Formats: sequence, structure tokens, C-alpha cells
Amino acid sequence: MGTVSSALGRRSVRIALAVLAAVVLLAAPLLLPAFANQTLVRIGVYAVAVLGLNIVMGYTGQVNLGQIFFVGLGAYVTAYGVNQGWNIVVVFIAACVSAGVVGLLVALAAARLGGLAIAMVTIALPIVGVPLAKRLDEFTGGSQGISARFSDAPEWSGLYNDQWQFYIVLVVTAAAFLLARSLVRGKYGRAFAVVKENEAVAASMGISPYRTKVLAFTIASIFGGASGFLYLAAVQYTSPETLSFGHSISLLAAMVIGGAGSIAGSLLGGAYYIFVPQITNAIDPNLTTLSQGAILLAVLFLLPGGLVSLPRALRRLGRRRSGRPTSGNPPKTAPAPHPVPEAALEGPDNKERQDRP
Amino acid sequence: MKISKRPGGVLGIVAMTSIVALSLSGCTRDGAGQGGGSGSSPGITDSAITLGITTPLSGATAGPGKCTVAGVSAYFGAVNAAGGVKFGDGKTRTVTIKSYDDAYDPQKSLANFQQMVSDNVFAATAGLGTPTNRAFREAAISQKVPQVLVMTGDPLFSDRKQSPWQLGFVPIYQNEGAAFGKLLSASKGQHKVAILSQNDDYGKGYVAGFKEAIKDASNISVVGEQTYEATDTSVDAQLTQLASSGADVFFNAMSVTPLTISALQKAQQIGWKPSWFLPSNTSSPTAILEPGGAAAYPGIYSVSFAKAPQSPAFAKDPDVTKFLSELKQYGNYPDMPAFPHCMWSYMVGATLEQAFKSMTEPTRDSFMTALRNIKDLKAPLMLSGTAVDTTVDGQPAVSSVVVQKYNGKGYATAENFG
Repeated sequence: MGTVSSALGRRSVRIALAVLAAVVLLAAPLLLPAFANQTLVRIGVYAVAVLGLNIVMGYTGQVNLGQIFFVGLGAYVTAYGVNQGWNIVVVFIAACVSAGVVGLLVALAAARLGGLAIAMVTIALPIVGVPLAKRLDEFTGGSQGISARFSDAPEWSGLYNDQWQFYIVLVVTAAAFLLARSLVRGKYGRAFAVVKENEAVAASMGISPYRTKVLAFTIASIFGGASGFLYLAAVQYTSPETLSFGHSISLLAAMVIGGAGSIAGSLLGGAYYIFVPQITNAIDPNLTTLSQGAILLAVLFLLPGGLVSLPRALRRLGRRRSGRPTSGNPPKTAPAPHPVPEAALEGPDNKERQDRP
Repeated sequence: MKISKRPGGVLGIVAMTSIVALSLSGCTRDGAGQGGGSGSSPGITDSAITLGITTPLSGATAGPGKCTVAGVSAYFGAVNAAGGVKFGDGKTRTVTIKSYDDAYDPQKSLANFQQMVSDNVFAATAGLGTPTNRAFREAAISQKVPQVLVMTGDPLFSDRKQSPWQLGFVPIYQNEGAAFGKLLSASKGQHKVAILSQNDDYGKGYVAGFKEAIKDASNISVVGEQTYEATDTSVDAQLTQLASSGADVFFNAMSVTPLTISALQKAQQIGWKPSWFLPSNTSSPTAILEPGGAAAYPGIYSVSFAKAPQSPAFAKDPDVTKFLSELKQYGNYPDMPAFPHCMWSYMVGATLEQAFKSMTEPTRDSFMTALRNIKDLKAPLMLSGTAVDTTVDGQPAVSSVVVQKYNGKGYATAENFG
């Protein structure tokens, strides 16, 4: 165990593994069947939305129940832009910027209110969004929705549509995750953490809780807009149903189940959001809600820290089972992330997690 | 909650991604699920054919959604028990139905469609919902998978040029409005009509159909026209305004149940008692007309094409008794159907069987040709005066409806207005 983790800690090994993963991701769509690619594409879409939610909720501790609104907004802007014949890069930027601007405006007002009041304001977003999308039918196609195809594979690529979509989603998702990772590890990430823990302490350290909250909320909205762009790349259609309030709660559940306050957990959350309906459909299509509830409860009971804590939980279980810490480990499916000593190297960020067992 | 800022963060991400990617591998692409080598389409063998239904089985629209599966399953359950369908190519096949829950979410219905393709489903059918069907319409076209006899009043699905692999089943909104307009213009007297409609494709469709039908009738004049938004909680203002027009016929293209009830009550309160027209989905005798006090009006008209099993007039009808027993035995639906979708999807079964009987090759192409060539099919449970006709471009499989008048308990076919 110890040797594995110290090897993982070495920079060269980590780079080698990252390159390996990149190669796997680039090669995967060429080898996988279409349905697997389509599933991965949809996971990418929701992973980005969950990632945004994680920044504002998991890292900054502000309840946001309206994330799906920004996904829907991004999707509508994308559909509109594509149908107007804009360049696709412009469309992408427009989707992110419009979601970001709306997010900023909402946050400027909402962040003044404390705690649960923000949650109430964010609930309003999808509730207002659905009738708004129906009413503005010049832009949104009304209740029949709007189609836009821009993600079909071009002739020269020689790829199938699902492979092309995979690469589009891969580029945006990878960029989003790398940006988010840098964000939460840098000074803003530290500011988010302090604001989450105690606003008074944050203020005494010269961090404005208000501005930090607005920042986190705006960034979450931008990720929501990017996710909306990807949604349209994957689904090629959007309608008022896309931004219904129930999906916002599902996103929230996906975030908690993946692992709140964890970048990798966002990816797992996206996977959960997509896989569980597929699994429950296979069990019995008439009982999907029931089995989804059962899975949700089971995961939360067994892994309160979310799926991302699975390796840690397994390790702990293994240690407890056998007194021998080296040989008793259960087989792992993942390269085991980070035992505590490794984490301590990170420095100041970790003060907090150490005094909270 | 712990903050996970550890050196392995990025490693975790790539590791997890790789797991997800690798766990899905293991099988390789076989031409995007298209075409077996032997000339037959996926989902059909010499002894069986598989159909897929993606429909809301959970959530707010689960009631009608469950009916769409139950009706088709009931029909083919009985057919399979009797040996199966003798196809046009001479082989007898049983019909398997696979259902998928989309919870009325377009993203999930697309996912379900992709799942169907990977599950080797021959055709998607009977699914309920406009957005959910639209979400995979283009995918179905590009993969040449039939998406037929779906439960949406959206005319797009019946447009052959735009939707070569689709066909709607239920009448489009225009059909319903037109049926009432025809009945009204055939009446002797002069009539003044007030129109209230929902400000979306639904309301606009009804009004367009109605106006088209009364275009040449000199005895009908539209004296007032108002709209409301689907999210409005009251239409009192519109009703007061329409009442002052002195109309004796009220064409109300409304899809919201509580609003319809309150409109029925409000008009009585202000002393306006015209004859009403209501769409088929907001004209339930028990759920809407009774609480709305509809008996106060000279007439409440609606349209239908299916025999209502609840109605005493059809209690001993052989179609209805057969339908109810098959629904119980094969459709896993023991109760009296609460939604017309149960009857509609049963008719979908009959229509599909007709297409199967005349398709000469086990291919999707041959199936579409056969399906588009059905005329005058009297599917079980259809009211007299209606029939399945798939040969007209721009029209769904069922475009004929009969106008019915409320008689205090249920509906009876209205031969003429008044």
C-alpha cells in the first residue's frame, strides 16, 4: 500500500498516468460501441453541470437549487445561435457568457441574503424558467422545443456522429475540470473554503464573503451554460422540460452522491445521473422511481462521503477486517488515491481538514 | 464534508474517467447497430419481432404513460397467445414489447432510444409526449429506425417529407377543431362564436382547424377572440369580455384541467350560458364537467374516436369486454382505464398488426411502406365514423373524430348541432 501511494505521489509517475488516461480517453470512442459512446457523452454533459454545482455548494457551501436553469439557458442560447448560423465557437462563448451574466445578476441580489434565503431565490429560477421558455416562443420554439444540429460528424473526419460528439464533449469537459481544479486549489478555492466554514472569520482575514459568494455562484452558472452547450451537442434538442425543477434536485442528489467538495466526485455524480435511470430501466421500467430512491439511500448510508470516498472506505474496511495492514486490502478497481500523509504536503489548505476528522 | 485538495486530485479524475471508459468496453462496434448481414433489419428474426416504447412511467404523466404500454402489451399479449402474427413474408412471428421509462424528460427519451438501438429493437412505437418524441426524432431519421404511431398531436410527425420514419397516431389538434367547426357550419341557425385559446401550439392548432372549417359558412361569425397563457391561474377577465360579445357558442381550446372547471363555473356566475366546445383531453365527465356544473349549459361538445369503457352505452360492447379482459390479463392493468391512452395504444397494436400482415420483407423499409398503406381499418374500440387511414400526407393515422355531446352522464355521438 505504502509503496503504491508513494509511487503515485511522484511527479513523473503522475504525469505518465495522466498521459495514459489521455490516450485511453482519445482512443476509447474508436473502440467502444455506439451506445457506450453516447452514454459517456451524456455523462460528460452532466458532469460539467454537477461540477458547477459543486463549486458553489460543495466548496463554498451556498445552497443552489437552480443549476438546471443555467443548463437550460445555455442549451437555448446554443440552439438559437446554431439556428442563426453563428460560428460554433461564438455560440459556445455566448452560452457561457449569457448564463454567467444571468448568474451574476441573480447572485448580486441573492448573496445579500443569508443561508436558506439563497436557496429560496434559486428555487425560483427553474420555476420561472419553464413558463418563460414556453412564452418566448420566437426564441425557444415554445412548448414544442427547438432542434439544432451542429454536432454531426463532418465528412472529412471519417468518424461516426457519436465519436465526433464524444470528442466535442471531451474537449469541453476536460477543460472545465482542469479549470475547476486550478480554481479550487488556488487562492479563490481557499477563499471559498473559509467562507463556507465561517463568514466572520473570512471577513476578518480580508476576504469579502459577499464577493466570494457572488464569484462562486457566477462560476457555477458559467459551468451550467457550458453544460447546456454540451447538452445540445449530445441531445440536439431542447424544450421547456429540460429545465424543470425536478432535474435540479436530481443534479443536487448526483452531486452529493458523487462527493460534495470533490472534483472527481463531480464526474462520478455525472455518471450516477446517467447510469441510474439506465440501470433502473433494466430492472423494471415501472418501478424506476422506487429503485432510484433505494439506490440513493443505499449509497448515502454506506458512503456518506459520496462515491468518491469508496476507495477510502474499502481501505478502512480492509484494515479493520484483518489485523495485517498490508495484505488484507480488498482488491481495488482504482489506483488508490492519497492517504493522509501525502495530503499534508499540500500545505495551508489542509489545516482545516486535519482538525475536522 | 472534507475538502479534497490532494495531490492525486487530477489523478483521481483521470483514473475515474478511465474506469468508466474501460468498464464500458469489451464489445466492438458493428456498424452503429445497423443491419444484420442476412438482409433483415435488426430486431426481427424468423420467429419474433421486438418493439420498443419509451414513455413516461414515472412522474406527473405516468398515468397516461402506463396506459400506452398497457394497451399495446394487451393487444399483442392476446395475439401471441393465439400463436402470433402471420407476416406478409409468410412467417409467423410473436411480438415482444420492451418498455423504457423516460419520465417525460427529453434527454432520457433520447437515451432510451439509443438503448433501444443497442438492444436491437425493430421500431419505436406508441410513446407519449411531444418533447420526448421530438428529442429522438432526428436520431431516428438518421439511423433509419421507425418511430411510428406515437401519441402526440404535433403535426410534425405526420409530415412525410420532414419525418420520413415517423407517423403520429392520434388526431392532430387541427383535426379536433375542424370536426366541431364542420358540425357547426352544417347547422341551420345563425351562430355567434367566442373563442378562448391557450397561447401556444396547442391552442393555435385548435383555432386554426376550427376557422378553416367555418371559413365558407355564412351562418357562423366569430365575435370575440381571447387567449390565455398555460401558466395563468384565472381566465375570469377573458370570460367577462367574451360574455359581453353575446356569443351563443363558446369554443374553448384549453388544456388545463382546473382552469376548465373554473371557467365552467365562472361563466354561469356571470349569467353567460352558451354551448361549449372542449378539447378531448379536458372534457372528462367525472373529472371536469360534473365539478364545473356543466348541466347548466345547453350543450357541451367534445370529440372522440374511441369507445369509452366507462360509458354505460358500451358496457356490453364485445370490443370493450374483450379489451378489458386482455388489459387485465396481458397488460398488467387490472383497473378500469382512467385515460383514453389505454384504448388508443390498443388500437396502435391493431394498426401495427395490420402493417405486419402486409410487409413482404423483414426490413424496416418494407414495414414503413406497409404501414403507410393502411386505409379504412376499423381497429377495435373505434367509434363508428372513424377509421385508421395512413395514406394521407400531413395527417396522422387517425384523423377522423366524431363530435360528441354531453348528456348529463357521459357522451353520445352528436349528429347535428343543437
